[in-house]
Amino acid sequence: MSDDIRAMTSELARDPGSLVFIPLGEALRARGQIEAARKVIRAGLERNPDSTDAHDLHARLLVDVGDLEGAEREWSLVLSADARHLGAHKGLGFLCYRRGDVDGALDHLELALSVDPADPNVLQALQTVRGVVAEGGRSAPAVPARHGEMAADTGPFSGVEGADRAMLLVDPRGRVLGGGLRNPAGIEVAETVAAQLAGVSQEAERTVRVLELGEWSSIVAEAADGNMFLCQALPDTILLLVRDRSVPPARMQVIAEKAAEQARAWIAGQTP
Amino acid sequence: MDRGADAVTGIRFRRLLDQVTRVRGVRGALLVAGEDGLVVAEAVMEGVRANAVAALTGSLARRMRRTADAAGIGFPHFLHLQATTGAICAVPAADGTLVVAIADAEVNVGLLRLALLKVAEVMA
Amino acid sequence: MSTMRAVEGWTVKPLERFVNEAGARLTLLMTPAGQVLAQFGFTRAVDVMAAAALGAAIVSSTAEIARLLEEPQFSALNHQGLRHGIFVAGFDSPRGRLLALVVYGTNSSVGLVQLFFEDFVRDLIAACPVPEERRPVLAEDFERELNQSLASLFRS
Repeated sequence: MSDDIRAMTSELARDPGSLVFIPLGEALRARGQIEAARKVIRAGLERNPDSTDAHDLHARLLVDVGDLEGAEREWSLVLSADARHLGAHKGLGFLCYRRGDVDGALDHLELALSVDPADPNVLQALQTVRGVVAEGGRSAPAVPARHGEMAADTGPFSGVEGADRAMLLVDPRGRVLGGGLRNPAGIEVAETVAAQLAGVSQEAERTVRVLELGEWSSIVAEAADGNMFLCQALPDTILLLVRDRSVPPARMQVIAEKAAEQARAWIAGQTP
Repeated sequence: MDRGADAVTGIRFRRLLDQVTRVRGVRGALLVAGEDGLVVAEAVMEGVRANAVAALTGSLARRMRRTADAAGIGFPHFLHLQATTGAICAVPAADGTLVVAIADAEVNVGLLRLALLKVAEVMA
Repeated sequence: MSTMRAVEGWTVKPLERFVNEAGARLTLLMTPAGQVLAQFGFTRAVDVMAAAALGAAIVSSTAEIARLLEEPQFSALNHQGLRHGIFVAGFDSPRGRLLALVVYGTNSSVGLVQLFFEDFVRDLIAACPVPEERRPVLAEDFERELNQSLASLFRS
């Protein structure tokens, strides 16, 4: 347990009515402890039923477990109390987009932008939705209804060990091209991680450009509960491999190189 | 301001960083205030932009931390960016400082990793 | 979608590069009197007016503190908040002294803003046209110029 979480848990034990349950729930969610976060938020909402931020977090947790209807109810509740709630507009925009309602998504995202014109997530989401509109479609491309369903399509890595739960191929805009990723609790986190990876790639490019280090080829992160290996399968296409700590980064590089080769062939096969 | 104390701290940091710069192929070692991306102490060869290494590595480390968080694998304790003509390695120390090295592409990453971890341990 | 606007065209490219590299959320380039040359990220004229006035006032107050302390003028100030940081800096250009107010979020850092601010200043100085002869600024001129600037910053 991190120090922050420990401190917030103690504070909540001292004062069960405290609003600290919201950052505590956020911190647990960020660590992938969805069930623990849900418990904290449900208990917190019993004492603070009017907290719009708590309902917003509850809605995001419901999305995490695939309860989209529940999430929609929560966000609608938030908007009935605060018509300019940024999180609720972002969330409802996301839900509209997922079910193919581009107009609804645009409405909510534009309202979100009016609340915070500098929110990079809203800007990126609007760009994506407007891109769909510009391509002539008023309905969004088919998107899986639940996070977990993305894992079933392991396209570029079929046959590679861990392809459905520990390997991702991501495009430059942070969208999953193939593979799947589950956190140690077994929850699908592919889309969340993919969104982060777009930023990592830009960060790596900027770093090597400014420091004149040539082209970046890989990034390794050794963490407490696993190792990550990132490389570029193709220019602008990132391959992520996650393994437990028993697999050394040098071996991950070998696996990643083989997977990258397979991904390149798969992408070439997809090109019309 | 106690300039004597500053000098002692400076010498201590410098000695710590020397353990990293001793590794063959290392062009520079720095202590970086992780969240701010500012240089705390540096021992770099001429031509290495310490402020750029600090700001960019701090930012990359933050991004990687968020990614590792999202993937549920916990807090990264070693980072290695490999590029065609160089490499950057970083290890977070307990107080939020990052111990960073910039090196040639062919540096012995295993040795460098150990040196950085040792400095981070002493910092803690 | 771009929320960048410039009163003076030569500022656009350096500003564009700076906000992309530094990950700035809001940036205002202005004179010490608060006249805006370019902005990024603001969507309402009233916000620009307030930010320009406050930014200019911050620089002028700290310059006065520096004078009292018999220190050279502060070149940059940074205030770190929980979700945002505010960086205010002044620099000399062929157009005289200019100020920049930068707001950055958790995706950036004071280190990155400082790093790319150095390039921003260099790019601006290189792009700056040779100045015309300067005339004294009168109150009515100032108000007219301010209104023209705002109209130009938020024209559709």
